[in-house]
Amino acid sequence: MPDEQSQPDLRPLADIDQVIHAPARLMVLTYLYVVESADYVFLMRMTGLTWGNLATHLGKLEEAGYIEMEKAFKDKKPHTTIHLTKQGRRAFREYKKSMQQVLDDLPD
Amino acid sequence: MSQKISLKEAERKAFRFTFQDGLWDIFISFFPLQFAIGPLLSPIMGDFWSSAIFLPVWGLAYLAIWLVRKYVVKPRIGMVKYGSARRLRLARFTLIMLLGNLAIFALGIVVYVNFTTLSGVLIAAILGLFWLIGFSMAAYFLDYPRLYFYGLLLSVSPLVGEWLYSTYGVAHHGFPVTFGFSAGVMILSGLVTFVRFLRDNPLPDTEPPIQGASNA
Repeated sequence: MPDEQSQPDLRPLADIDQVIHAPARLMVLTYLYVVESADYVFLMRMTGLTWGNLATHLGKLEEAGYIEMEKAFKDKKPHTTIHLTKQGRRAFREYKKSMQQVLDDLPD
Repeated sequence: MSQKISLKEAERKAFRFTFQDGLWDIFISFFPLQFAIGPLLSPIMGDFWSSAIFLPVWGLAYLAIWLVRKYVVKPRIGMVKYGSARRLRLARFTLIMLLGNLAIFALGIVVYVNFTTLSGVLIAAILGLFWLIGFSMAAYFLDYPRLYFYGLLLSVSPLVGEWLYSTYGVAHHGFPVTFGFSAGVMILSGLVTFVRFLRDNPLPDTEPPIQGASNA
């Protein structure tokens, strides 16, 4: 019977925010975290995601309340500006903290 | 995942992406170009006008770059508002460069007043040192490593020019040769970067509708 004391407690992994945990969304949130706001084209260039992928992930982040999108028209073309909400900023910080904690606690 | 995610690096990448299109390299090249062409114009236009002519040239170059950035670069890179830390860093840089330019201006007056008593090499060394410091600071604050190289190039240009003048008798203290070379390197580097930028960042399509997003 394995010694329960020596086994790492992996339960905190279940608490990891699944909305943020997807690599594409994590990339998007990372860039939005370090700038004040960015538009669609900028995020596409930074993350290397396609239009469609980016739209899907931004939709999920908006549904979760992590980002806000301001839609406008610029030179008669749709132009969306995206920024993190306070909730999104807090969630990102918590995600970073919990991931660091979980990974630090794992044995080599 | 083989690489560590660094927020600092992500911020730096985001910042650098917005202005590393090579256009500023071309703009900066007008600085050594002025020193390369100015002495050649001096016998025709006189000392004052051979320098003053570059003011409208600088203005036109800035306008051209502004237009290219607006209509060619920005549609390709999108728009971003930097975070408060970056804005503070840029404000510090502006202040330091302002103070630095005032110091160089004051030193320039001292050199002008004592022009006949100072040796050409000493004047060239002082000029070179100030350019090296100025460009290095700009490189540091703007996360623009090429500026270190340009600073080095510009700082040795007057010294090498003086050497060419004293050793081979190259006209105009060798400035047209050395500064012309520096300008050429900057223009070439800027053009190559700009062409690469255009190749790597084609014009994107119109934004698609965002799934699950509100239409507010």
